[in-house]
Amino acid sequence: MTERQVQLRLGTGALIAALFLTLYAIPAWVSSPSNVGNVILSPLFWPYALAGFTGLTGLGLVFSGMRMAPDGAPLDGPDEDAKAAWMRLAGMAVIMGVTMFLLPRLGMVLTSMLVFAASAFLVRTRHPVTALICAVIIPLVLYAFFAHVAGVAIPQGNYLRLP
Amino acid sequence: MSFLDSLAAGLSLVGNIESFLALFIGVAVGVIGGAIPGMSATMAVALTLPFTFAMQPITGILLLLGVYKGGIFGGSIPAILIKTPGTPASSATILDGYPMAEKGEAGRALGMALWASCTADVISNLSLILFAGWLASFALSFGPPEFFTLILFSLTIIAGVSGDSLLRGALSALLGLLLATIGLDLVYGTNRFTFGDPNMMGGLNFIAVLIGLFAIPEILAMVWHPTAHVGKARSLGKNWVSFADYRRSFKSIVRGSFIGVFLGSIPGIGAAPSAFLSYSEARRTSKNKENFGKGEIEGVAASEAGNNGVAGATLIPLLALGVPGDVITAIIIGAFMIHGLQPGPMMFILNVDIIYGLFIGLIVSSAFLFLIGSVAIRGFKYVADIPKRILIPAVLVLCIYGVFAVNNNIFDVGVMFVMGWVGYLMVRYHIPAAPFLIAFILGPLLEDNFRQSMLMSGSDPLILVRGPITWFFWSLTVLTVVAIIRAGVRAVKGGALTSGNLEN
Repeated sequence: MTERQVQLRLGTGALIAALFLTLYAIPAWVSSPSNVGNVILSPLFWPYALAGFTGLTGLGLVFSGMRMAPDGAPLDGPDEDAKAAWMRLAGMAVIMGVTMFLLPRLGMVLTSMLVFAASAFLVRTRHPVTALICAVIIPLVLYAFFAHVAGVAIPQGNYLRLP
Repeated sequence: MSFLDSLAAGLSLVGNIESFLALFIGVAVGVIGGAIPGMSATMAVALTLPFTFAMQPITGILLLLGVYKGGIFGGSIPAILIKTPGTPASSATILDGYPMAEKGEAGRALGMALWASCTADVISNLSLILFAGWLASFALSFGPPEFFTLILFSLTIIAGVSGDSLLRGALSALLGLLLATIGLDLVYGTNRFTFGDPNMMGGLNFIAVLIGLFAIPEILAMVWHPTAHVGKARSLGKNWVSFADYRRSFKSIVRGSFIGVFLGSIPGIGAAPSAFLSYSEARRTSKNKENFGKGEIEGVAASEAGNNGVAGATLIPLLALGVPGDVITAIIIGAFMIHGLQPGPMMFILNVDIIYGLFIGLIVSSAFLFLIGSVAIRGFKYVADIPKRILIPAVLVLCIYGVFAVNNNIFDVGVMFVMGWVGYLMVRYHIPAAPFLIAFILGPLLEDNFRQSMLMSGSDPLILVRGPITWFFWSLTVLTVVAIIRAGVRAVKGGALTSGNLEN
């Protein structure tokens, strides 16, 4: 992406966000008492003001992007094997989603063990045995600290009850 | 309370093994965290934060300050040995540090980095002690309009100088301010973007947002490119820094320290610009200016003094005004809040023992930094050997535990993941994350002070320009915006001119 593309995309995104906030999100999701006498003190004022400034910033980004040369140098270097990188990112998104699903069911310790192992293999670790050992030990050590030193009620799940 | 009484109160608070041990461990963790390429001082502080929940406030905050101080120095080790700055603040150290390592003088460069760092650290801490109390006593006369203008100025400068573009910085700050509106309204208690979910009514958890913004994007970046940050460490060589080297560079070290103190006390500027400014000043005034960039030890000294001079000074606005000076102090402000403390001028009256306890701890931290830094220089190869593809999952698991521990709430883990993707998108689109986080912290304060001002004046906006303090901050805000816009316009014109010349 060139600087111009970044500015134009961000500016367009900011303008859309400002419009969405002003026309839908704030009226629908921000409630205000009916007896507020002055608009400045209303709970709606601050979100509307921020939406307005977001719109102005978006306009500024679009304007500055349009003034830039279209054939500028890319901001980032070329990605080697971008397809594999996208796949790994998607894999990490799945791991995060599954984590949220498993945390209340398996408990934090078991879920963390699975998360550790899955993410280590996702990035193709060259130390699979070490990764598996760490996947077991690190969540247990963290459990011991947070549950017994910091007094945090770590979720235990339905299958494994740790002391 | 006299100065001696305050000092005694501070000493009684930190004069125990627990506090000094926390500080020692903090410096050690910081040096290691800063030295691991791909981690950073910010990430190290963020990941240490959950471990402070069970500690006494002063112990926990000393631990974090230790990580901060250690992290800034730790970044110089990989900068010199593998040409990869452990933290952005160490980027200037590469310029002369790595050429020295190539000449077999890595040990000498690292030794000078340590000496310069410790000297700058002491100067920065003394400046903090001298100026924070004075600034706090001045800030005691601030009312809501003064605080509103101060926070507005802080946000302007943070948004303006944290990235390559004022507009992208402003967008980042606006996103942070918008996110801070989630929760119950401060005055009327009505819902704002809560979707009826009780988890959202108190607003988004600060730690979840913070770790999401600063740790998860690093994990995602490593997932995108798992073999990044791999470099071959140079050997330390036989030469070590001598007192003659130190004496020769002393002027640059002191100058760099004061540059760091000055820039660090202005919210938002941070350590990297300070290091580069200190380096360029040293090069401009040095007798050996032609050696700069080729392995000049004075260059290493100047850049390290510049970045470490910032570390104590960023605490000046934090402690005196309650405004974080950079991202790390924004995290530390979170630690204060978690322990029920509100940094700002009132803290110098209500919690003077904690303030002086911190001052004592900071002075001691310089000595710890010297000790631990000396060991870390020799032990770097063990840190460099930690497989990054084992480190990523470990950091992820630590994030999950740490964020959950704040409120015992799985919802916060979800917030962290979502903010992680937001942070990663921001990285990809070159939007600085610092304005986002600082605006997220200052957002409620900004709105609260604005609405209190309006309530005080019966909605008359003239209250926002009611006296010399507000005029002062309004003038600074306008000056900052004008200066940043002018710099931006010049950069665009310069760029256009360069591309024009290239075409011709």
